[in-house]
Amino acid sequence: MNTHGKHIIFIFSTVMLISALLIIADSYSRISGGSTDVCLSCHEDKDLTMEKNGKKISLFVDPQSHKNSVHSAAECEDCHENYNPDEVPHTKTPQQVKCANCHEGSKPLETNVHAKVSCYDCHTKHDVRSAKEFAKDQTKNCLSCHKNQNISHYSESVHAKNKIGCEGCHGSGHKVKSITKKEVSALCGKCHGEHEKDFKNSIHMATLKRGDVNAPTCTDCHGSHKIIRGKISVESQACLKCHLDEKKFPGEEKGSASFVTHYRTSIHASIDSQGLLEAAGCVDCHGDHMIENRDNPKASTNRARMIETCGKCHKDVVESFKKSKHGQELEKKNVAAPTCTDCHGEHDITSTLISNDFTKLNLTDKCLSCHKDGKIPHKNFKGEEELITGYQNSVHYLALKDGKFEAPTCYQCHGAHEMESADNPASKISKNNIAKTCGQSNCHTSQLNQYTGSIHEVGVSKGNQDAPACNNCHGNHGIVTKNIDNKSQKSKDIVKLCSNCHTSVELVERNDLPTNMGESYLESFHGLATRGGSKEAANCESCHSYHNVRPSTDSLSTINRKNLPETCGKCHPGATEVLFTKKIHLNNPEEDSPGVFWITRFYMFMIFGLIGFMIFHNILDLRRKLQLRKQNAGMKK
Amino acid sequence: MSSEERKLIDEKFLRMNFNERIQHFLLFSSFIVLILTGFGLKFPESFWVKWIVFIIGENAFEARGIVHRIASVVMIVASLYHLYYVIFTPSGRQLIRDFFPVKQDVADFRDSMLYLVGKSEEKPLMGRFSYVEKMEYWAVVWGTVIMGGTGTVLWFENTFLKYVGTMGMDVATAIHYYEAILASLAILVWHFYFIFLNPDSFPMNKAWYKGYLTREEMEHEHPLELKRLEGTDETEVTEEIAEEITEAPVDKPLDVTEEQLDKKENEEETKGKKE
Repeated sequence: MNTHGKHIIFIFSTVMLISALLIIADSYSRISGGSTDVCLSCHEDKDLTMEKNGKKISLFVDPQSHKNSVHSAAECEDCHENYNPDEVPHTKTPQQVKCANCHEGSKPLETNVHAKVSCYDCHTKHDVRSAKEFAKDQTKNCLSCHKNQNISHYSESVHAKNKIGCEGCHGSGHKVKSITKKEVSALCGKCHGEHEKDFKNSIHMATLKRGDVNAPTCTDCHGSHKIIRGKISVESQACLKCHLDEKKFPGEEKGSASFVTHYRTSIHASIDSQGLLEAAGCVDCHGDHMIENRDNPKASTNRARMIETCGKCHKDVVESFKKSKHGQELEKKNVAAPTCTDCHGEHDITSTLISNDFTKLNLTDKCLSCHKDGKIPHKNFKGEEELITGYQNSVHYLALKDGKFEAPTCYQCHGAHEMESADNPASKISKNNIAKTCGQSNCHTSQLNQYTGSIHEVGVSKGNQDAPACNNCHGNHGIVTKNIDNKSQKSKDIVKLCSNCHTSVELVERNDLPTNMGESYLESFHGLATRGGSKEAANCESCHSYHNVRPSTDSLSTINRKNLPETCGKCHPGATEVLFTKKIHLNNPEEDSPGVFWITRFYMFMIFGLIGFMIFHNILDLRRKLQLRKQNAGMKK
Repeated sequence: MSSEERKLIDEKFLRMNFNERIQHFLLFSSFIVLILTGFGLKFPESFWVKWIVFIIGENAFEARGIVHRIASVVMIVASLYHLYYVIFTPSGRQLIRDFFPVKQDVADFRDSMLYLVGKSEEKPLMGRFSYVEKMEYWAVVWGTVIMGGTGTVLWFENTFLKYVGTMGMDVATAIHYYEAILASLAILVWHFYFIFLNPDSFPMNKAWYKGYLTREEMEHEHPLELKRLEGTDETEVTEEIAEEITEAPVDKPLDVTEEQLDKKENEEETKGKKE
């Protein structure tokens, strides 16, 4: 044969072989791909339905999504076994799709939460995607089943906004589980580690560990799915939800529901209700996660830390409080020292402006609740307690009671937060400052003006501790207009008052004061009359004035020679012509008033000489006469 | 006043007439009030002042001042009347004449002292007023003048301040005070001794309200006056008589007991009343 013939045979046979192969391939393809197309030829109809147990079931399969799914290569009958496409229905015994037939090696469900859930409930039926791709939409998937109110609010939550999906808490894929109360905090802590650490130390956690079902965990306050940032929702829905429940917190004591209820009437709550976010809510004082029992030194509501807690907002006030005696004692861990809440109250805290407890009248009771009955030991004076309780008899208190609200109560003299003991030179009631305090505007300003420049004031301003400030004469708390109607007693009181210093040998010597003032007054007619109960006789202040006491050398002094006619003239009309021939207080009679001195001498001689003689004479006379009587009696016998 | 009148009845010898007794009453009552109200000022804290203040009440001090002034007026008026009495009435003139100190008083005082200290056994005999009573009288005169003067200054202090100044006021105050002490002590020691404690008068010389002395008292205290009253002549006691009486044993023992004396006195009183 020739080569040409051979070539034709080869080409022919090759074509035949290829054709055969193509036919085989085509036939093979017709068997498999062909079945899906066959199925879809019907099932791509969107309106294809069947009825089962009276329910209309859609039999629609989107060919496109199937084509895009990971199962695009699989034919329908790979999953839907024993289906005969020529019969309708395709099988008399429809069987559940068993994914495990193919996915033998895939991870089983680790928990039983989804035990009754079929694979395709999550992975969907025909548009099954790869696990990676599937995970992207897991949350949406979950929500497609979990439609209850609580969970559906997830979309508003801060987690949703930050793209933390269901799997973030519940685990992903086949590890999805429900979360028990005990697990919650640890779970949240995975992300919110700091908060969890705080929460672990809180009283809530401690209660939880004891197994108290009422104890809250993260979700009880923050909500489980609808977690929203911001305290308002936390407070109104979280803390008070439990803490106002009288069943959970019975009784009247601290920590009880009725105790917490007071918050609602507090200034903090009322500001809150006006929508001011600065107002303190529960967490602002109690802390958020690390809520502790107040006895715990770490608690923000612990007495020792109270000022810190309040100081978060009330900065200035707390700063001055820290410098105060109260603040200092508190720092020294003095249990008697008051902290913010001791005066202002706790949950029932109200504005000092409107609170009944802080009206001037009631404030006293507040202060006295400690400064009474020996609760605070006083180092300064014996009987200081009486001094303090004496306020209730004072003109100040009585004026308040009479409705004169400008009258002072404790804080007006002592300062409110800057309360200081008198020893402290910075104190409002220290010797240096007390005149200013009493003379503050609207109070005793005119008296302060008179006092300023007086010898007493000059002494005080020079730091002389002996010099009297207001309180040394008027008293401290029990400032009374003592005996104001009893002029004679008032006069005596004034003399006694001035004598306290001006007849004290020690004090007179130390300050080089004129001597013999008290005695010479008491022996003068003025003094005698005062002692005897005269209502009008001059006492110290009649001549020396009261606030404006100055030495006679001072031209402003009431006892300056120039001013004497006026001063004396108050009682002795026409005193302008009075001859002031000598000192009024006679210190040394021989020098100051020789007349009186010699008269005294003369009469002393007369009294002792003459009366002495008379006594002598009469004793002799008596003796003689008695002798005579005895003699006579003897003779008679 | 005649000796007849003075020798009322046998055993009664007029010592003070009614006028004098009234004067004495005014004097001593105002004196007592002045003492109480005066020292009440000076010693306001003493117990008796407190009692008085307690009884009188809250205005005691003011009352004290007013009463003191009233009493002072009484005393001054009585003193002025006394001045009139001794100048313009016969009995007053006689009184002041009898009160005037004479040389004999010095001798009496000397003798009396000698007698009292035991250097002499003779008691000097006294006339109507012994040196004791004369001292007393002139002390009262002196005191009244001083107290009246200084008291007036202190009373009208606003007026007198202009003349005497504060120093003058202090001087007046000092004098008024010391004189008061002197006068009170003098009355207490001198006058009260002779009136009350004196064994011859004990328990009290009643002449200040009865007006007369008994014979016994006269014998003891005023033998010369007794002698003069009993004498026939109306002239004053001469020195001779005085000597005569001095020689007589005066201090002879008494024949009557105290009881009898009292009885006698009572009888006399009843007699007096009947009359």
